Amino acid sequence: MKKFLVLLLAACMILSCTAALAGDGTYTVLYSGEVSTLNYLITSTANDFALASNIIDTLVEYDNLGNVIPCLAESWETSEDGLTWTFHLRKGVKWFDCDGAEVAELTANDFVAAMKYILTPEYVSSVAKQVFSSGVVNAEAYYNGEVTDFAEVGVKAVDDYTLQYTLANPVPYFLSATTYVTFMPAYGPQLEELGADFGVDNASLYYCGAYILQVYEPQSQRLLVKNENYWDAEHVYIDAVNSIYNAESATLAPYYVLSGEVDAASLSNDIIDDWTAEHPELVTKSRSDLQYSYFYCFDFDPQYEAEYGPENWKIAVNNKNFRLSLATAMDRVYSLFAEDSENPESLLENTITPPAFAAVDGKDFAALSAFDGIADLLYNRADEAGSIAKAQAYRDAAKAELAEAGCTFPVTVVLTYKTNDANWASQVQLIKDQMEEVLGKDYVNIVLYAGPADSFLTATRRSGKYSIMRCNWGADYADPETWTDPFAAGNNYNFMDKALENGSPETIADLTTYYAMVEEAKAETADTAKRYDLFAAAEAFLIKNAFVLPYRTETADYQATKLNVYESEYAPFGLCNSRYKFMHLYDHYITAEENAAFFAEWQAALGE
Amino acid sequence: MNKSRLKRIGRGIRAKLRVLLSPAMLLYILKRLLRSLLTLILIMTIVFCLSRLMPVEGYYKNADKMTPEMKQAVRDQLGLDDNIFVQLGNFYGRLLRGDLGTSYVYRQNKPVWDILKDKLPISIRLGSMAIVLSMILGIPMGTLMARFKNKIPDHMGTGFIVLIQAVPMVVFCLFIKLFGYQWLGLKATQLFSNWTWEYWILPVITLSLGNTAYYAMWIRRYMVDEGNKDYVSLARIKGAGEGRIMFRHIFRNAFVPMVQYIPSSFLNTVVGSIYVEAYFSVPGMGGLLVDVIKKQDNAMILGIVLIYACVGIIGLILGDLLMVLLDPRISLAKKRGGAA
Amino acid sequence: MKLSDHHPAVRQLEDGVTDALRGYTDEELFARVPFNEEEAERTGSASYSYWRSTFRAFRHNVVAMVVLALLVIVVVFTLIQPLLPGQFSPTEISKGENGMPLKNTAPDSVHLMGTNATGQDLWSRVWAGTRNSLLISFTVAIIEAVVGILVGVLWGYVRWLDYILTEIYNIVDNVPSTLVLILLSLILRPGVFTIIFALTITGWIGMARFIRNQVLIIRDREYNIASRTLGTSTGRIIFRNLLPYLVSVIMLRMALSIPGAIGSEVFVTYIGLGVPIETCTLGNLISTSLALISTKQAYQLIFPVVVVSFITVSFYIVGNAFSDAADPRNHV
Repeated sequence: MKKFLVLLLAACMILSCTAALAGDGTYTVLYSGEVSTLNYLITSTANDFALASNIIDTLVEYDNLGNVIPCLAESWETSEDGLTWTFHLRKGVKWFDCDGAEVAELTANDFVAAMKYILTPEYVSSVAKQVFSSGVVNAEAYYNGEVTDFAEVGVKAVDDYTLQYTLANPVPYFLSATTYVTFMPAYGPQLEELGADFGVDNASLYYCGAYILQVYEPQSQRLLVKNENYWDAEHVYIDAVNSIYNAESATLAPYYVLSGEVDAASLSNDIIDDWTAEHPELVTKSRSDLQYSYFYCFDFDPQYEAEYGPENWKIAVNNKNFRLSLATAMDRVYSLFAEDSENPESLLENTITPPAFAAVDGKDFAALSAFDGIADLLYNRADEAGSIAKAQAYRDAAKAELAEAGCTFPVTVVLTYKTNDANWASQVQLIKDQMEEVLGKDYVNIVLYAGPADSFLTATRRSGKYSIMRCNWGADYADPETWTDPFAAGNNYNFMDKALENGSPETIADLTTYYAMVEEAKAETADTAKRYDLFAAAEAFLIKNAFVLPYRTETADYQATKLNVYESEYAPFGLCNSRYKFMHLYDHYITAEENAAFFAEWQAALGE
Repeated sequence: MNKSRLKRIGRGIRAKLRVLLSPAMLLYILKRLLRSLLTLILIMTIVFCLSRLMPVEGYYKNADKMTPEMKQAVRDQLGLDDNIFVQLGNFYGRLLRGDLGTSYVYRQNKPVWDILKDKLPISIRLGSMAIVLSMILGIPMGTLMARFKNKIPDHMGTGFIVLIQAVPMVVFCLFIKLFGYQWLGLKATQLFSNWTWEYWILPVITLSLGNTAYYAMWIRRYMVDEGNKDYVSLARIKGAGEGRIMFRHIFRNAFVPMVQYIPSSFLNTVVGSIYVEAYFSVPGMGGLLVDVIKKQDNAMILGIVLIYACVGIIGLILGDLLMVLLDPRISLAKKRGGAA
Repeated sequence: MKLSDHHPAVRQLEDGVTDALRGYTDEELFARVPFNEEEAERTGSASYSYWRSTFRAFRHNVVAMVVLALLVIVVVFTLIQPLLPGQFSPTEISKGENGMPLKNTAPDSVHLMGTNATGQDLWSRVWAGTRNSLLISFTVAIIEAVVGILVGVLWGYVRWLDYILTEIYNIVDNVPSTLVLILLSLILRPGVFTIIFALTITGWIGMARFIRNQVLIIRDREYNIASRTLGTSTGRIIFRNLLPYLVSVIMLRMALSIPGAIGSEVFVTYIGLGVPIETCTLGNLISTSLALISTKQAYQLIFPVVVVSFITVSFYIVGNAFSDAADPRNHV
């Protein structure tokens, strides 16, 4: 009954809002992150992706509920063995130049030419690996020079409107991979002509997406104008997107929302208190992003200065009870306060794979039965005494075992963060404060270790300069397998594969089990349900043995905006999330109530 | 009367020019330019070597998701695996051909010169407007303060200087950006465009604040110091008017040490406009160097350093020449070193 | 000087002297007087002491004295503040009733300046920040002054050094300090001593050049030429002739370099190369609270800015007053 009322209310809100739709208009925002290139075939930065997604279309895209829908490909089919994917392209899609003039028709050859460009080492594309991992035959061999004839690579234009990919092995997630830059088309003759100069400015590439980049003045302005001749123009509602550069946009944009000069601004954690007090009606939340996940790693091969005792930590981290004592002692909600003081619980996750990332038979991967028990294992604010007692029990067990192994107490725990990241600094202080209280300073001595602002990951995580550290990973395709990558052999995340050689027998046994589980899951390509179960089991094993501590999802920003965020494409992977297509521009900032109604409506639609 | 005065000034200028264009002086300038070239090469070599000390991993843009072959391709592209001398040789070879290389991170594959040639004029325009404004405001202010030492104008001026010096510049920038446009009733999200006063007025004022205070403070200081000197007392005893003493004697002498700073303060203003350019959306050079260093874009670093070093060295020579022009006691050409 | 040889006034003076000496014999004129050190050092005003006069002149400046007293009180207070009863530690996190950090509370009787976003006491953070920032800036200013004056005077006075040092200056000045700072931050861990090192290594040459220019202006004044002609050693000329003359300018410059160092710290923090953000410094306190400028929590920005401003203003006033007092011509 209650749910029905909510829905009814939502429906009313939507009706009243639709009346207020601006329909057309220019969406103005401030931005501070400049794109480094418009050449979407070589870049790997989020800013570049966001722009590319609006000017170039992909074979398929997503609707706002996360369903794959046709885009440049009208239909597609896969062979029996899952090795051949054939896409039938939409006819009459054209390339346009930056003035909106028609240049040529988009054909299957443009996909082939783009892939060849990515696989040419001299163009130093930083996304070539995503082509390799999507299984395209001979892609890596061609890149490495082992195959010299591009015709042997598994991409072929059967005719102008039929595109065929051949894979080396069945890749269940191939369709989702085509929404990444690696499978975008580019006008072949132009690529030939420009080579490395492709996409250095807005005149040196052609457009096939919903928008055309009419003005591109770095550090000044970007103007995306709707392409009236776009094949799907009826679903593009925002006439133009005017992005004005300001290096301090994070600080300034909220003020210009108040004066009405910009149409959207994200509200950082430091001003959110003021906004919820002064302008509660304007504060809404962005839709959470499924593509990233944050987790705490335990470093199995610490490389930091001898004064912090890396050898001592190495002994300690090889003890399961020690790891469990740290993992269970951390009150994650308390430390997440630093990132979202309004609602820290909303960020929490108990899996590495983010919730709603992948589903099988209507059941979310993160809710599979393998993950049962993790929530109870980890610290629970509702049962503080119980949680503390549990952590202390692990501590006492570890203490006895470690004393025998020759470990000295307190164990120095190097907790690394970025020197200029205010939220992160606050977070590690909260963690130190809370964990030392639970475990006692005679057991652990948490040292806050500031990594440099530049080359941060290189100087910290990748070079093993931490004991525990918040790490993150972004999906490479819409399949749980991608979340095993940061822990694979040769990783520069937690270096746990190195413990296979020099770890304690207990660790070696556990890791051997884990890697076997992953191999088994990877081999299962036919039955998705079984595949997911196997991956879930492996991930749960890793968490339950405290090799890694799940932490949070990508933060959903607080913001003030004139867009309904629930109208935009909803994709677990790829670039579609940043498209303006399908979105309306309202004539007012979305109020908190409207946003709640939009959310309720969206949730209801998702449930169907 | 006016005519004779003009004549005198004209004679003065001619005399100065004679000094400046004398063979000894020209030889001196030539020598200094040659020496500067050597300095320039040293600077570029040092910066080049320093930039090669940056971690190699920093050049991999997607380091966690790259195969060893992909990393190799990046190193090949940037020539990082070559011997440092070979790299240096390549760099100078390109430089001789007038090629500053292409950007690798900042704007991938775009020639460095194409990027800088758009940005440089913007910063120069902003910087020179700010410098001119601060001279127009600062020098008379300092003079007035010295003239009315320990009286109301002095106290007011001191108050202004203290305020500018006291509050961190970044706070000023933010404050003016947030409230200045409101007070003037202007749109705050102005687009950079070449000549609209609405766009330039606040950045220029903000950028000139620091220098205005700086000029006023030092002019006052030098003038007060100068005012205590014997020749001033003598002039006073001889019954010269206070205004005449101020401008004919004290100001001219106090201005000499100031002048030397003007070229370099121009450079500092252009380089140091980082806050102003950040807050007022000026697409210039301020902060560009910091930015490209952080991004490890070596070609950009070297290109910018080259430009700054040239401007800096020329500024230094100009500063010294200006001193010679204004103070006949200082001579550069006679002895080696001099006021080099 | 050459032109005076045949000037009528000079000739007149020469004639006058010749006339006055005419009444004496050679013995009377060139009698040997035993060396007497006291006599040799005697100047016009027998009881004149440079430093005593300087301090006397300084004491007459009431405003400067008051500001100096306040400054001393503030500096002393930053040192004893942690020892006072009822103080929070700057890193201690206060918790509210729900066990969550007490975030952004307005100033009250418990937290005199409220708390920050992590729930830490701003009062003790501001004082800890002042302490750290003063430590940084004093150290930087002193190292810069010592190195800068030493190098600057030699640079300005010793001609053959001028060439070398000017070249070094041209080079060092043109190597971007950001590049050096970033390389340093990769080699050394971010911290208080790293930033002191970084600021001095990039700052001393500015001070040296400043001194060098001052020296250059007075180096060839008549009294120095005279002194040199009389065979005074370089060291003595530097310490007796040049430096005292420069005291007033140096004092002002030094007084300004302390707030200057705080300013550099704010800047270095702004570009992300500062002290780790969890360490209190005025630079960190300001840069983390900039976004709050027109919110209800603006006090988090205002308090540290007030402290920075006070320090800057007081050093400016004291420095100016002292530099006025240090000028011997203001002693009479």
